[in-house]
Amino acid sequence: MLRTLQVERRVDPHLSIDRYDPEAELLLLHFGPQHPATHGVFRMDLYLDGEIVVKCVPYVGYLHRAVEKLCEVLTYSQVTPIVDKNDYVSPMTNEQAINLAFEKLLGLEVPRRARWIRTVFAEMQRIASHLLWLGTFAMDLGGALGGGATVFMHAFRERESIMDLFEEVSGSRFHYNTHTIGGNRHDIPAGWSGRVKQALDVIEARIGEYEAMTLENRIFHERTRGVGVLDGTLALELGITGPNLRASGVDHDLRRDAPFHAYDEITVNVITAEGGDCLARTQVRMGELRESIRIVRAMIDSIPEGPINGGKPIKLVNSIKIPAGQTYVAMETPRGELGTYLIADGSPKAQRLKIRPPSLHALSAMPYILPGGTVSDALAILGSLDPIMGEVDR
Amino acid sequence: MNYLTDSLHALATSLRNAFRAPTTVEFPDVIRPRPERYRTTFALLNDEQGDQLCIGCLMCERICPSTVIAIKAAGKRESPVTGKKRGYADDFVLDLSACIYCELCVQVCPVDAIVMTRAPEVPTFSREDLVLTMERLYANGVDKPRAWGDGTRLMAMQEPAPGAAPAHHAPKAPTPSGPSAHTDDKPASSAAVREEPQ
Ligand code: SF4
Ligand code: SF4
Repeated sequence: MLRTLQVERRVDPHLSIDRYDPEAELLLLHFGPQHPATHGVFRMDLYLDGEIVVKCVPYVGYLHRAVEKLCEVLTYSQVTPIVDKNDYVSPMTNEQAINLAFEKLLGLEVPRRARWIRTVFAEMQRIASHLLWLGTFAMDLGGALGGGATVFMHAFRERESIMDLFEEVSGSRFHYNTHTIGGNRHDIPAGWSGRVKQALDVIEARIGEYEAMTLENRIFHERTRGVGVLDGTLALELGITGPNLRASGVDHDLRRDAPFHAYDEITVNVITAEGGDCLARTQVRMGELRESIRIVRAMIDSIPEGPINGGKPIKLVNSIKIPAGQTYVAMETPRGELGTYLIADGSPKAQRLKIRPPSLHALSAMPYILPGGTVSDALAILGSLDPIMGEVDR
Repeated sequence: MNYLTDSLHALATSLRNAFRAPTTVEFPDVIRPRPERYRTTFALLNDEQGDQLCIGCLMCERICPSTVIAIKAAGKRESPVTGKKRGYADDFVLDLSACIYCELCVQVCPVDAIVMTRAPEVPTFSREDLVLTMERLYANGVDKPRAWGDGTRLMAMQEPAPGAAPAHHAPKAPTPSGPSAHTDDKPASSAAVREEPQ
């Protein structure tokens, strides 16, 4: 009874709380910012009627590190390692996104080998990122799933193998700084592709196990089906991209629709799902895990020969000057469209650099899809959107 | 689907994993195999005659995105070993507490003086220990194994000399879509504005 009542109220999330029924005696719950389920530091004010969320007001900015300003203060040569820390679950794609913008304005041709390696990195990063998401999402859903942290541990174990592979390339497990303007800084070491295939075999074999814990588990279904339904029109309106959009039935993927790197040379099967609920988002990411494994397998043996850098290696701090102009470059990261808007003025520093993080747009759906759900749904919905606060706040 | 069978299914998965060999090791008794390019804290190297390699050119100080390197360059003076005049650094401080391990300082060093090391024992009990003074950097160079990367190697990997290309670096065929900016000539692409030393 109560639930249906609240569902009707969720029409306008921008309605001031004063306009709600004063009789309702809403309870204000400050959720976060230091809450493990917020995947970083994120605060929501939840107005509760019993256990039903009536209104949700999200607050971001707790992890603001002025990255965009930093990108204007540092020279182009120095920026790449800084943006590693934006989306700290998928550093590879951050580096790629920013360098794509620099390369576009410079008119620099990235060698084919570098583009293939970048594609492989991006897909492996997608696997690692989705694995981390799966683990944390299962943990958000709580102890029902075979003891809370089980899936988390399993997913992290497999993610580790990908980080080991990246460490072999760049010497660093997480903040790689392996891209540079015009290509890559590190070539892949000998025998690397064999080890990649081994790791992928293990991960692929274990996806079935994750599914046994999640998609094939009735408890999981009951926690996720029909929870946080985001319809495709609203998703498009809010600028939501990536798996969250595809789970709402919108067939959109920049890897296929606006190919970058070497995506124009391979086919990407875009995974979509209907429903737009937490279950659909899980199905899409599980499908993407398999698809990414397929793409890496298809590419890893045929990475073309050649140089890995089409520009000159970074030597001097202000040797790279980008001619005046502006550009917007977008690429598909594990979370959606990561855009870089760059205004250059001919000097070695960007005049303005704006990063469009997919997670920020995903979070903006919270006030629309959360009301009507319970407090425990709040965690499930937040987790299923896969927001990374480092990228939201920058 | 019902709760019981699904739970048993999940339990079976858990059990199967319980009997898998662990993937973690008992650090610090066991150290996991570290890949060739593994890199942590820094070292300054001496040449074979024991002379400091660093010429105090400040390239690493300038490139550092976190500005954690502070160098006091000395003027040119005679090398005690060769007797030739060359530059030196009087003081060299690298503050690890804000270093982001980007490896750019290593990449830009023209004489391969600064390298990273393979010593995993970086954590310390005090912040002062994170400030690597010149003394400690040279000590690291003596007693810690150096990492793979140095300026020459990193540069060579990104810009393989034509001719002396390693096996996996066949000379690049010109791409149909544009001139290769890879040659040492001025990039033909007018958009690429690059400058040599200021
Ligand atoms: S590795 Fe550390 S010291 Fe070297 S340039 Fe990067 S931040 Fe500076
Ligand atoms: S370490 Fe290398 S780059 Fe830094 S001042 Fe010395 S010679 Fe120059």
